[in-house]
Amino acid sequence: MRVFQFAAVVMMAWGLAACQERLTTPVDCPELCPGNSLIVRDTTIEAIFDRDSTYTGYLRATDIPALLVSNGLPAGDARAWATFPRRSDSVTVDGLAHALTLDSAAITFHVLGLDKTVQGTQLAVHRISPVIDTNTTLAAIDAQLTPESLLGTIAVSDTGNARLVLSGDGLLKIALVEADSFRLGLGLRVDAPSPTGVRIASLNFDSRPPTMTLYGKIVIADTSKVRQTLTAVADSANYAINTPAPPGQEHLFVGGKNGSRAIIRFVAPPALKNSAIILRATLELTPAGPLLGLKGDPAALEVRGVLADVGAKSPYLANLRSSLQLPVDVTTVQSIDLREIVGTWFLTSPPPSALVIGINPEGGSFARPEFFSTRSLSGRPRIRITYALPSQPGHP
Amino acid sequence: MRSRAGLFLVFAATATPLAAQSSQFGVRGLGLPMRPLSVRSTGTGGAFGLFDSESSFNPASIGLVGFTTASFQTVQSWRRSVSPAGVATAQDNRYPGIFVGAPIGGTRLAISLSFSGYTDRNFSIASRDTLILRGIPVETTDTLRSLGGVSDVRAGIAWRSSSNLQLGLGIHMLTGSNRINSTRRFSDTTYAGAAEQFTVSYLGMGVSAGVVARLGRALTLAGMVRADDKLRVERDSTRLGTTKLPVTVSGGARVQFGDQFQLAGSATYRSWSSADQDIVDQGGIGSVSTTEVNVGLEYLRDPRRPNNLPLRLGFYRSRLPFPVIRGQNINETGISIGTSKRFVGDRAGFDLAVAEVWRKGGAGFTERATLLTVGISVRP
Repeated sequence: MRVFQFAAVVMMAWGLAACQERLTTPVDCPELCPGNSLIVRDTTIEAIFDRDSTYTGYLRATDIPALLVSNGLPAGDARAWATFPRRSDSVTVDGLAHALTLDSAAITFHVLGLDKTVQGTQLAVHRISPVIDTNTTLAAIDAQLTPESLLGTIAVSDTGNARLVLSGDGLLKIALVEADSFRLGLGLRVDAPSPTGVRIASLNFDSRPPTMTLYGKIVIADTSKVRQTLTAVADSANYAINTPAPPGQEHLFVGGKNGSRAIIRFVAPPALKNSAIILRATLELTPAGPLLGLKGDPAALEVRGVLADVGAKSPYLANLRSSLQLPVDVTTVQSIDLREIVGTWFLTSPPPSALVIGINPEGGSFARPEFFSTRSLSGRPRIRITYALPSQPGHP
Repeated sequence: MRSRAGLFLVFAATATPLAAQSSQFGVRGLGLPMRPLSVRSTGTGGAFGLFDSESSFNPASIGLVGFTTASFQTVQSWRRSVSPAGVATAQDNRYPGIFVGAPIGGTRLAISLSFSGYTDRNFSIASRDTLILRGIPVETTDTLRSLGGVSDVRAGIAWRSSSNLQLGLGIHMLTGSNRINSTRRFSDTTYAGAAEQFTVSYLGMGVSAGVVARLGRALTLAGMVRADDKLRVERDSTRLGTTKLPVTVSGGARVQFGDQFQLAGSATYRSWSSADQDIVDQGGIGSVSTTEVNVGLEYLRDPRRPNNLPLRLGFYRSRLPFPVIRGQNINETGISIGTSKRFVGDRAGFDLAVAEVWRKGGAGFTERATLLTVGISVRP
């Protein structure tokens, strides 16, 4: 037994002390390497003719993530609105209702995006009829945005909260009337020296909807409880936008208030199946004109693969998406790397080689890019694939 | 007998990771040839390999095994490689040899089973290049890594005709594989890296025969010849071809000066050029026949206890069979020093050898390596 104990100790000590590896040596290749490295090649596949389409209506009008307000922006002229429910005129303190005498009020909007290069951008807040819904047109809203209905303006130079504070006679402008069922409607437009726009958080955005805070006093013996506030959150908010007319079949269009998406289909090259390793795959889309949107507040073009191709309602491949921040006013080809999605097309049981393109945030962005479709004479959608073929190095 | 059988099983079970020190000269052909020597023989530059009972070189030397003996050795290598592409320092650790031998009681026969490296193809090489991808130059870094080699499993038997003459016969099975991993990475990270892996496996057989003859009190001569069949080469179970393996012929002499000092020399020829066409056909550069000469000495401090810290010195020079560039021979020169120590009534101990090796391959390829070989021996 002592013999084996000795042997075990020696082997263990040696293993701990010496078992290290660092092997790599530089060489000149391919002359001195035992075989070539992976062979890298490039190919381009065009989308299948007339198998691409634009589908609209992925978003309900109430599901918009942002309110758009603009003044003559080429991407669309937009006005936003919000309504507040009937509010209480008293607060409950120590179990008793006390009438609140207003001192001031603050109306807060959360700005998500704007073009900071435009100086002097203001949000003009008007009181409008609370009888308004998603079918209300921009013209109908504009008709109510008169100098008489103006509550005030908010200078907007950055993202974050924008507050309009009312006091004194200004409070009379937000007084509730029976004719409006004691509800309050607000309309928003943008004033700026040049066409621009502002994106504001909607009811669906991260708990920052349009909010009204009322500050006042109550009559109570405890002087520390005299000052009280009432907060009201908008119960509806939306926007109306006049956009360019939808394009014809020669163009693919994504974005818009209702959420338009395009589906494009390709044929995966059979030669790449089984052995090729996809190094890079880039979808190239050619704009049909200058890309419309709001400068300084880019939206993302999102591309997803599909699990099954059933047209407009094709389910997506989970966890696989590629995106590209869309510039504004450019006409250059837009390239989106989607190696992981295209890589699935060459698996043993591949999903359909189709892509769905959309905009993020969908329904809440000024971006509404139009690209040439397969029916266009030029600039058809295509994918550039760079791939590697095994070379089986290690020759003797 | 049960303990002997158990010992055989233990060593057989741990015998798979056979390989030895790596080298940039192990990239081509079947890799860097290994020398099936014990640590004692390594310490003498290989000069005592034909006479050493624990080396797997000459089957006749098995006849000198007086007890059931098992030994295991491992090598730590530190090397500095110079090539036209640059300089690299590298290190690795391998387990190149296991030997178990025993006399057959009541007979003049002795048997052994040994596992040793035949060729070593452990390497990792890196290179840079620039490709034009989509009209833009993109720098690439390629790494090719190989792990494995060919191992030599020998079953040997020796007949001790007398105390002055031993004859031996060995049957060899050559087996092993290279796990090849090739990767390419791009400086432009929009391109994903790519890799491919496959395994090249080898299988072959061989036989060897040898003799050790003592002529008088001072002189001992030994010789061996070995012939290996074609090595079958497969890539991921697809047959790539065969590689004709060399015939090995070796002879040597050992001279005893008194009780404490002995000197040995040997020369070995391997007809590796017979594999040239097969290797070229498989995409390689080729092979050349090799000659190796070894000179070494051993000084025993205590002749009654020969393994009590003896001094061993050796020198060898050989040609390597697989050139990096055709027509440019690779020569290897080594010097070594070694010793050993036995404990518990000589039933267990260790052997130690340190070798400094220089390799020159022409065209700017050189290498210097320090090899520390440690072995343990047990006599259960």
